[in-house]
Amino acid sequence: MVRRRGKKLIKYIVINIVVWALAILWVLPFIGITMVSLRPFSEVVVKGWWNIIGQYTLKNYVDAWTDPMYSLETGFRNSLIVTIPSTVIPLFIAALAAYVFSRFSFPLKTMLFITLLIIMAMPQQMSVIPLFFMLNKMGLYDKLQGLILVHSSWGLAWITFFLKNFFDTLPKEIEEAARVDGASDFHIFFRIVLPMSLPAIASVAAIQFTWVWSDFFYALVFLVSPQNYVATLQVATMKGQYHIDWGLLSAGSILTMSVPLILYALLQKYYVKGMVGWTVKG
Amino acid sequence: MVDVHLIGITKRFGRVVAVDDLYLDVEDGEFIVLLGPSGCGKTTTLRIIAGLEKPDKGRILFGERDVTRLPPRERNISMVFQSYAVWPHMKVFDNIAFPLKIKKYPPEEIKNRVRWAAELLQIEDLLDRYPAQLSGGQRQRVAVARAIVVEPDVLLMDEPLSNLDALLRVKMRSELKKLQQRIGVTTIYVTHDQVEAMTMGDRIAVMNAGKIMQVGTPEEVYNKPANLFVAGFIGSPQMNFIDARIVETDKGYVAETETFTIRLPEKYKELLRPLRNEKVILGIRPEHIYLEPRKHTTLAAIRGRIDFVERLGSDNVLHIDTGGKIIIAKTSGNYAYKVGQEVEVYLDLDKLHVFKQDGEAVF
Repeated sequence: MVRRRGKKLIKYIVINIVVWALAILWVLPFIGITMVSLRPFSEVVVKGWWNIIGQYTLKNYVDAWTDPMYSLETGFRNSLIVTIPSTVIPLFIAALAAYVFSRFSFPLKTMLFITLLIIMAMPQQMSVIPLFFMLNKMGLYDKLQGLILVHSSWGLAWITFFLKNFFDTLPKEIEEAARVDGASDFHIFFRIVLPMSLPAIASVAAIQFTWVWSDFFYALVFLVSPQNYVATLQVATMKGQYHIDWGLLSAGSILTMSVPLILYALLQKYYVKGMVGWTVKG
Repeated sequence: MVDVHLIGITKRFGRVVAVDDLYLDVEDGEFIVLLGPSGCGKTTTLRIIAGLEKPDKGRILFGERDVTRLPPRERNISMVFQSYAVWPHMKVFDNIAFPLKIKKYPPEEIKNRVRWAAELLQIEDLLDRYPAQLSGGQRQRVAVARAIVVEPDVLLMDEPLSNLDALLRVKMRSELKKLQQRIGVTTIYVTHDQVEAMTMGDRIAVMNAGKIMQVGTPEEVYNKPANLFVAGFIGSPQMNFIDARIVETDKGYVAETETFTIRLPEKYKELLRPLRNEKVILGIRPEHIYLEPRKHTTLAAIRGRIDFVERLGSDNVLHIDTGGKIIIAKTSGNYAYKVGQEVEVYLDLDKLHVFKQDGEAVF
């Protein structure tokens, strides 16, 4: 009895040590840049990043936000202009498409769905050159609208896939009950299916928002004028060729990542539910 | 309120024929039960009446109106589903009000009607709650309230009680029946539970393999089953079936089985004549087999030995070996029978059924 309890205790301790070690390892870089972002440049350069005693300052954050050279304020504005429509538009269209894939049968349905999966598997780099020419022809190169278009279409495939799997898990009787009560297809979709899919919608919104917000590659290729730079590009410009202000760069990074972090915190309740719903019948 | 007519309805799913040339007339205000084992096509039939499935052949009439090609919303029906299908994101009030809102009733009338339905179902206190805060029985009441609130022409119910626990099911059975009588709506009710069917239905349509086997009052399907299937499906324990041959003797007709011979009553003479020397199946219900003689009935006595006893409290179900053929008898629970005991078994010939080889009942 005692031995068994002892074994249990050891197991408990080992698991805790492993999990804590992993967690610290995971969070360490974040702690590192937080520390650096709060120190004056002179201290970071001399004493390194791990130095609790010393001077603390918010100057880096103020600089990152306001300096006209790499103003994060403009970056944030552009990022929001790109990210919000790039989340809402594909979400709306993909939700409708996913519902059709989930509930209706039509010619070439399987083929279309397979196409969707192929698109999902395609690396971004493969499409960048044709997209460049396309946007150029459409007059959308170096325009935020162009980037919105690219992100929206890129998001359509995976969101349709994700939501289709979620809709598949909803009981059909729930919709049939509404149909018998006199509701049309659109009515059923907007009044019954969508509200019931809030967890999935929230998950999709969080993932797509983070994806678009954190995107660097497309933004780098399709936006060239500094006044159009999104936040991630602005952060990159904070790193000079010969001189790197680590504090400024860290502050910029933390500010940039704070938006998706806050979003995740707000949507966490739904997000977890949505992911569970997805994995149950994926 | 309206009468319903199904005329030659056929529905296939791939190669499977779910409903096979089905005819059924439901009278105005009637409570009819579609009863049958799983997969017999009863739910498909109900869904075709609802408009949730399109029949491959046949027509559906509501009164004079042909609704075969109409979508559900143009049929003025309501349906209660097995899983209740109440919407979790709407409060009880909004669940019940939903069909009224769709049909664009004025807000004041919506309130009045929801209150009326909620009072009928005794859920007035729950209107402000979400379905997740309700018990299974309460959710079922919400589903029923939602179904009656529009005063539909036809109310369809698909095994609405099968998710409830046994006690609640018995209670809801009588409540639903009373409710139906009170509002007088034509009701088509699907179940695989024969007790539900017998206690609730004005008439029962027994289904098997996509076809209707018999339509009749509960007494008719119980006392005069049209065929072997109905005889076997209705009644618990199941009717005893014994292979026999009809033989004409100078004392009248007798049925010879492998283990015993019984003389059949004179009144069946005309019916039995065409079956001379034919193989038939005798059917007798366990409750019509006695272990003591009774007056005023025609009995046939055979010898047997008790093989097994199921004690149900109020009744005993006895498995009696009659020389190789086991027959089941249901007797009052007061008697203590023992396994191995030799007994005299009395078959009540007034309650005997005879079926032809193809299953059709002779009487």
